[in-house]
Amino acid sequence: MSRASKLVLAHFWVAFVGFAGALVLGAWQMYIRSPLAAWINNPEHYYRSVTAHGTVMAYVLPTLVAMGFGYAICELALKRPLVGVKWGWAGFWLVIAGTVVAAVTMAVGKASVLYTFYPPMLASPFYYLGVVLVVVGSWIWVALMVINLRAWRKDNPGATIPLAMFGNLAGAYLWAWTSVGAAVEVLVLILPASLGLTDTINAGLARVLFSWTLHAIVYFWLMPTYIAFYTLVPRAIGGRLYSDTMGRVAFVLFLVFSMPIGIHHLFADPQVGAGFKFVHAAMTAMVSVPTLLTVFTIVASVEIAGRLRGGKGAFGWVRALPWDNPMMLAVAFSFVMLGFGGAGGLVNMSYQLNETIHNTQWVTGHFHLIFGGAIVIMYFMIAYELWPQLTGCAPLSAKLIRTQLWLWFVGMLVLSMPWHLVGLLGMPRRMAYYDYSHPDLQPQAWTVVVSTFGGLILLASGLLLVYILATAKKRGSAAEVPRFTFSRAAHPGAPTPAALNGFGLWIAMMIGLTLVNYGFPIVQLASLKDAYVQVVPIGSR
Amino acid sequence: MAGDRDSTFAWRNAGVRRSVVWLVVLTVACLLVGFLWLPSVHADFRADGLWASICRAAGVPTSWSGGDATTTAEKKPTTDVVLERAMARGGTSDAIGRGATLALNCTMCHGARGVSQSNAPNLAGQYSEVVVKQLNDYRSGHRKSSIMEGLAKAMSARDVEDLGAYYASLPKARTAPTTYGEALPALVRVGDPLRNIAPCISCHGGVDQKLGAPWIEGMPKDYLVAQLAAFKSGERRNDSEAQMRNMVRAMTAKEIDEVAAFYARKAAGE
Repeated sequence: MSRASKLVLAHFWVAFVGFAGALVLGAWQMYIRSPLAAWINNPEHYYRSVTAHGTVMAYVLPTLVAMGFGYAICELALKRPLVGVKWGWAGFWLVIAGTVVAAVTMAVGKASVLYTFYPPMLASPFYYLGVVLVVVGSWIWVALMVINLRAWRKDNPGATIPLAMFGNLAGAYLWAWTSVGAAVEVLVLILPASLGLTDTINAGLARVLFSWTLHAIVYFWLMPTYIAFYTLVPRAIGGRLYSDTMGRVAFVLFLVFSMPIGIHHLFADPQVGAGFKFVHAAMTAMVSVPTLLTVFTIVASVEIAGRLRGGKGAFGWVRALPWDNPMMLAVAFSFVMLGFGGAGGLVNMSYQLNETIHNTQWVTGHFHLIFGGAIVIMYFMIAYELWPQLTGCAPLSAKLIRTQLWLWFVGMLVLSMPWHLVGLLGMPRRMAYYDYSHPDLQPQAWTVVVSTFGGLILLASGLLLVYILATAKKRGSAAEVPRFTFSRAAHPGAPTPAALNGFGLWIAMMIGLTLVNYGFPIVQLASLKDAYVQVVPIGSR
Repeated sequence: MAGDRDSTFAWRNAGVRRSVVWLVVLTVACLLVGFLWLPSVHADFRADGLWASICRAAGVPTSWSGGDATTTAEKKPTTDVVLERAMARGGTSDAIGRGATLALNCTMCHGARGVSQSNAPNLAGQYSEVVVKQLNDYRSGHRKSSIMEGLAKAMSARDVEDLGAYYASLPKARTAPTTYGEALPALVRVGDPLRNIAPCISCHGGVDQKLGAPWIEGMPKDYLVAQLAAFKSGERRNDSEAQMRNMVRAMTAKEIDEVAAFYARKAAGE
């Protein structure tokens, strides 16, 4: 990799430095809210911190990792220099500019609206402009991914798109369509109100538009991880990818079913009809299909590695696996967290079970476990895999990496399991303050202490990640960096169905299904006068 | 991509055909369950027939079909004033000067410079939109006071605006510099989440100052207690979203006294 190295490195560095900063905020939030600390008596400071933590973790980190990994895949999988490096830098600087503008606005207390910025709460327009810049920067990345694939196809007519690039493009198309919901919400509803041009806002419509983005965005976060599952894990542990086609099926199923399901975030919202809530709930269940396909395929691929290493019998191959290989450890941890998180997610997506945990700490526990745990742990592995290619450093210390992964896994479970428990007991999320002197709350105080320790372990793990990456060069340069390869399929060269070597059909399905599932609620709410409410500017005085 | 598009979109491609058929079947099945079957097992959904039950499942408001139109819009409003952010902007010097002249009428109760020596509220430094809203509510009878209703009815809309501009231009009556430490009443600092009472400082200054929420530091204690009691009993109801009525309803007389005493606290030596 040559042309894009610096570009990819810049993306990863900003992502992980922001990540480390946001981890500090997260740990502080847990500590200050726990019985271990005296309450700061200013909920605004807490919400300011939550807004910054969420904005960096949900928008900046995954967007930069997906972009950086995407550029790397372009060069590594297509085996040709990246087209449009200058545009890539333009996108990068837009993301940086947006992050800085949003960060300053948050830091001065003009945007403590939480990262979901639900109207009628309104932040300073600079916060939204910052978020818009981040998104526009990422759209440049989407365009570059499409352009690079086209250029490659022109030179390789009829060839099968490498699986990593196929997943990469699925993620790019997914993001392009996903971000439209929040983009419309911000540009049409929020910014005019935030700039003071209107005094009321259609809160119902804003929430529906945000839900369009809010759920599908998690599959955009997830794409780099799934690409790593399919194209890095089997190779790194000495196995073969069980099925290349299955990977393509999983990616296109995400493309089709990620979008038209976001209303399951609005089960408690009266402005959306029960019929649509049911349809979205049922289609959310469909997303478990590509995830289960992936779990099956990757476990089968890992089994191949175990058997190649001499493992015998129904479970003997598990013992034969290279457990000292960080990738093996990471994928195991990721699957355990995906299992717990996914099971919890089934509760969230069911129209009726959701009633018991809606807006409780259960939800916080769920998305920390599945995103912060299952997905982000693979972001670490992507960085560790790419680092020698990007910096020319000697192989990283497997021992330090294993320590970092263990800390992340243990920390995430210690953090999020108590949240699931108290969520079932009804503890609301997004509370700045718990009154531990209250006899109803006192018995739950210990769970917040436990979560605080989980947060501290995660912080230690995050700092160790930055340490490992920062000191990689100091450990020495490699005489020759080995050529980067992706997983080989168990049956290489097997024919790929034409429909799975392109995106036209799936994009048509994605847009069609979105229109069916979102069209009526959007049109109805847009024409509903009752849905307009007075805005509530935050920190404007 | 053009060459490929032919094959990915071609109906003769069995994979394409199967995918499209499956997606259509799945979508139609979901729609049938969500809009026909599930509503049909709820008596209130099916009461007005099939079409009404489908509309209801789609979230169509009853007012669209000319049905039950007694929506919130028809309930008697508790105020006619719509707070707009423009109302919070400072007035011109003309408006302030005119307001100062008009305010001579108010000095008997509200003090020569807006700081009351009696139990009438301080107006010095009060946000202009607060003064405008309250005067307009007195004019329309949405806020009751035998004295203020009569006085406000004699005012023109411009008088009201100019008075708001004048009082906003005066320095605020402040209590001692406040740090939000443990010594403050809990309801002021953190509210009581289990009773759904928000902290006072999240709207009345300290953490945030919301539009239409008055500056209450240094207000006479008796005035604050009387207003909180009036909100609690529902006698006063010109808070458009019932925000104060909802906060105070769960508060005890002792808590009302405590927060009122806190806000009435004067700076040392004043």
